[in-house]
Amino acid sequence: MNKSPRRRIMAAVGLMAGLVFLAGCAKDAPQDTWQPAGPNAEQIDNLQQPVFLVAGIVGIIVFLAVAFVVIRYRDRGQSIPEQTHGKPALEVTLTVIPVLILIGVAIPTAGTIFDLAKTDDTEMVINVTGQQWWWEYDYPSTGANAESYGVVDPIVTSGQLVIPENTKVLLRVTSRDVIHSYWIPKLNGKKDGVPGRVHLLRLEGSKPGIYAGQCTEFCGLSHAYMRMETVVLNRADFDAWVANQLKPYESPAEGTLAAEGESLFIQQCSRCHQVNGLTNADGAPIIAAPEQYMVSGAAPNLTHLMTRNTFAGAAWDLLTPECRDDVWNANTEEFGARYLAGVSAECLNQKDLREWLRNAPEKKPMYADPTKLQATDGKYRGMPALGLTEDQIDALVAYLLERK
Amino acid sequence: MAIIERPSAEIAVAGAAPSGVKPSEALGVFKRPAASTSWKDWLVTVDHKKLGIMYGVAAFFFFIVGGVEALLIRLQLAGPEGKILSADQYNQMFTMHATTMVFLFVMPMVSAFANYFVPLQIGARDVAFPRINAFGFWCWLFGGIFLNTSWFLGGAADGGWFMYAPNSSTLFSPSHGIDFWVLGLQITGIASLTGAINLIVTVLNMRAPGMKLMRMPIFTWMTLVVQFLLLFAMPVITVALFLLSFQRSFDATFFDVAAGADPLLWQHLCWIFGHPEVYILILPSFGIVSEIIPVFSKKPLFGYPIVAMSGAAIGFVGWGVWAHHMFASGLGPVSVAVFSMATMAIAVPTGVKIVNWIMTMWGGKLSFTVPMLFAIGLVVQFTIGGLSGVTHSVAPSDTQQTDTYYIVAHFHYVLFGGAIFGLFAGFYYWWPKIFRKQLSESLGKWNFWLMVIGMNMTFGPMHILGLQGQPRRMQVWTEARAGEGFFNIGFWNRIASLGSFILAVGVLLFIINIIYTHKSKKVAIAPLDPWDARSLEWMTANPPVEHNFDSIPTVNNLDEFFHRKYAEDPNTHEVRQVATAEEVLAELNAHPDEHIHMPSRSYWPILVSLSLPIICYGLIYNRLLMGVGAAFLLLTMFGWAMEPSTAPDDDFDPPAPGEGGGHTKELAPLG
Amino acid sequence: MADTALAHGADHGAPHTTTGLSNNKLGMWIFLGSECLLFGGLISTYMLYKGRVSAGPQPDQIYDIPFTSVSSFVLLMSSLTMVLAVSAAHRRDDRNTNLWLTVTALLGATFVGGQVYEFTAFYREGLGFTTSLFGSSFYTLTGFHGVHVTVGIIMLMALVGMVRRNRIPGSKAETVELIGLYWHFVDIVWIVIFTLVYLIPS
Repeated sequence: MNKSPRRRIMAAVGLMAGLVFLAGCAKDAPQDTWQPAGPNAEQIDNLQQPVFLVAGIVGIIVFLAVAFVVIRYRDRGQSIPEQTHGKPALEVTLTVIPVLILIGVAIPTAGTIFDLAKTDDTEMVINVTGQQWWWEYDYPSTGANAESYGVVDPIVTSGQLVIPENTKVLLRVTSRDVIHSYWIPKLNGKKDGVPGRVHLLRLEGSKPGIYAGQCTEFCGLSHAYMRMETVVLNRADFDAWVANQLKPYESPAEGTLAAEGESLFIQQCSRCHQVNGLTNADGAPIIAAPEQYMVSGAAPNLTHLMTRNTFAGAAWDLLTPECRDDVWNANTEEFGARYLAGVSAECLNQKDLREWLRNAPEKKPMYADPTKLQATDGKYRGMPALGLTEDQIDALVAYLLERK
Repeated sequence: MAIIERPSAEIAVAGAAPSGVKPSEALGVFKRPAASTSWKDWLVTVDHKKLGIMYGVAAFFFFIVGGVEALLIRLQLAGPEGKILSADQYNQMFTMHATTMVFLFVMPMVSAFANYFVPLQIGARDVAFPRINAFGFWCWLFGGIFLNTSWFLGGAADGGWFMYAPNSSTLFSPSHGIDFWVLGLQITGIASLTGAINLIVTVLNMRAPGMKLMRMPIFTWMTLVVQFLLLFAMPVITVALFLLSFQRSFDATFFDVAAGADPLLWQHLCWIFGHPEVYILILPSFGIVSEIIPVFSKKPLFGYPIVAMSGAAIGFVGWGVWAHHMFASGLGPVSVAVFSMATMAIAVPTGVKIVNWIMTMWGGKLSFTVPMLFAIGLVVQFTIGGLSGVTHSVAPSDTQQTDTYYIVAHFHYVLFGGAIFGLFAGFYYWWPKIFRKQLSESLGKWNFWLMVIGMNMTFGPMHILGLQGQPRRMQVWTEARAGEGFFNIGFWNRIASLGSFILAVGVLLFIINIIYTHKSKKVAIAPLDPWDARSLEWMTANPPVEHNFDSIPTVNNLDEFFHRKYAEDPNTHEVRQVATAEEVLAELNAHPDEHIHMPSRSYWPILVSLSLPIICYGLIYNRLLMGVGAAFLLLTMFGWAMEPSTAPDDDFDPPAPGEGGGHTKELAPLG
Repeated sequence: MADTALAHGADHGAPHTTTGLSNNKLGMWIFLGSECLLFGGLISTYMLYKGRVSAGPQPDQIYDIPFTSVSSFVLLMSSLTMVLAVSAAHRRDDRNTNLWLTVTALLGATFVGGQVYEFTAFYREGLGFTTSLFGSSFYTLTGFHGVHVTVGIIMLMALVGMVRRNRIPGSKAETVELIGLYWHFVDIVWIVIFTLVYLIPS
């Protein structure tokens, strides 16, 4: 009888110890909150590690006290104890101690809160907009963005947010439909994107690499498939990335499968998806009008789809697992080059992309069934099934592969 | 059996009406229902003990429903790319799991205990407003059933129990699920509000002579605090639910961002209710273990006034911390800092309670019965939940943790490891009081250990999952992003799912224990005072007679019952027994009150509450049906108003003798 | 019931209680405490949204302060007549109790009538329930108050009928007092609403 509570307490102590142990161990968890890779996340981590430690110690003291009491004072036939109602001095002491501990926690907490809310040292601004179920990144071509980073025209992208290393980036987070939350655990805590409001989130990465995240505010059917990645590039690589994003559109060579894909894209996809520089037969630019078809009024810009490694709200990789590992596991020097190489024909994850083009709502739960859209006046939430043939899919894939 | 003449154990225990007492046509529209032993009596009863039992049985049913929902969620997440539930079903499942567990299990189970034991603990014969008490129960039950019928009528609510706008508008949730949810919670909310008023008045106004506030058992204290929280929290969620249902049913613009609405309005209203709600769920269990630990330590509660006052302090500070649910939702740094500090402050009175429980056991004479085991389980597991709570009162750290499984782990340690363990402690402790038989201790120990193992296996790994970055409310997880090594989320998801089934077996053993105890001939009737208890509810028969006490005791001490059984030598502090429980009871019953006027049964509570779901179905499907429901409501309310709560004495045969004499305990006339 | 009164020597048959307040009265006070939060929530919603007019008229374009002042005055007067009814009930003067209860109900009905008129006028001027956030929150707040007044009127009329037929369970004076408490509460809430909604410019 007296053994079992002890065992239980040991298990609890073990659990707490395990939690503390956690930080050092989990090397490969992409969203580990205890492995900061930027000053904001580091500041949070520096604050929370001692708090976890103190909480763990307090927990262990409580468990030991319970264990002691349970073992020492179990009924061995002793007489009924004195009916004491308490010892005020002891009670005051045991109240003051937690108060002091909490004051010790509160002071650095307040400091960190205000530090993390600072925006006056911003070096780059990016608008981040959530919608069901993907994020759009819009680099405005104003201020420091244009002057220092060469963003002379706005860049609109999605799936992967690309930022320069050691740069204080300020995200202006909002939403076009329901509440979402932007969260890259290794770079900073999360911030909700609320429609009608703009919330500010600092982001800074101190080492080139890809940092995974996930939407953390429940946002409807495909909440689990709303992911995001932030890519940190060194300055030279970032400049190369910007230059590539701004480079003019090139149509596929006449007669190729990709050219077939282009006309199919114009027919089937360009209503919602913008490809900058795409023109009609008469040379007029084609401007997508997702606001006519989508509840959120937006669909991902596909101009440079193959420069990012993910699609469909970063839920799936555009790279095969081997090629993906090559990029993710690249060392700091090689990472930029591998990332900027984009998606090649050999590395393309044909399976998931084709499944997506074949029947998107089957792959990712979305409200895209044309027969069930009374509530939205026929507008989609998510990509509908287009009823493409396999040949058409071949052509589209060929066309998309050139979107670098 | 509204009037009890010279009560004796034989009449009261059997619960049968003395022949000859029959209600004539009273002032009411119908004849009052007569007492009977058939099941129909349960429909018209206003007896707080019967209502308590009904709350308990129905709430336990919903516990199983919510538990099955939880198991389906864990099955879905047992492997990568789960296929058990579609995304739509999954969203409904976690929404209804939380809604069921909060509103249809823990809250009503607390009502069950409060209804049954608060009047007994303060030496009252019933609650202040017995008919309103019955009305509250039926509102809650019909509201809960109404809410769950949505499963069969096009799908349940899918917006999460927090139901954040604008995801809850018809544009983003076109099914009727959220309509059912909003209206169902409005109906159950009526029960919470009426219950709060009823119990507050009961505790403040109907205490036995000498039962000062600082002599009340802690369970009664915590119930009082909780009812005040409910009193002020329910109207806030009522407003929020009205706004939402006006938006969904009548196209109001409250959460329409295009019209300029601020979605944070909902969050504030939701959490101004929602955070006190957390204490509404946990404080009664604190009360229960504060009863149990002293009994099985043979010592009074250490620092009784501090435990009572810290409960009140938690209730008070609990109003100032709601925005700690919103650290990521874009409040300014000043608000975040203030709410962060306030949240840390609330840890102090909570910690005080844990210290006091341990100090109560310190130097005691501990016997590890099943109720005591569950109570110690609460102390340990709640400590873990409380400490993880402190880690996210640190707002910057919370921005890493909020909406991840770390939070799921935290509040399950608090609510399952805390609140539900407390309720189970209460089941085992008070079972013989209510049902005359003691649940099997050996089965109970299996029950306890399986629940402890299951609970820690299910929710312990969720700390890891959350810190590894797995968000909540995810329908699937993928192997590709699960990470590697010891802390990969795939492994710990599997462990959690396995644990949930062990937990389920533990709960199943409780049900088996009930069946075994009541079916097996080997289990004898429990003694009058099986635990050597300390408070008034044990100073009456098992189960208590309808009027609770033949004569109302006069209270001279905290732990009055204990002090009647034991005497302490003022010099040596030696405690020795001076009377057995049976002797104490016999002494108390030696001079029974002659004329006890109990509230009479009524048809109206169930009929009035029945009209509410009719109105709500009408609102969703057919405005004509709504009219029918409203007419029925008015009619039944009229009937209620016309019926005096207690039938006058001459309405019974034989009429009450002894005009103007005797010790009469009159109950509320309006209730 | 007579024997209870004798046994406890309490007036009007009110049972003995720990606080000395009757259960009913304590219950009503507690209920009104809860109602404060209900109106608190609704008023906060209105205050947040009153300036948010995406379509339709602005608040100051449609409020008719003189008209609403008169109807507010009428409602305020009904509190006075309610006081007279309560005092008549304490004197066990059924005739005057009923008279003042009826007058109170009529004044209340005048107020509700004024509100109906006001709603109609606003609607004609283009402020529907769904027009703007201001519209939704204005109608919800004042509508909830109007429903409270209406419920009060129904209770008053029922009380008149019950007093006349002598069918009030328990103490008559206390029952009148309880309805009075509710009525005064609703009046006070209106004063708050009138000040915050109508008088303070957005």
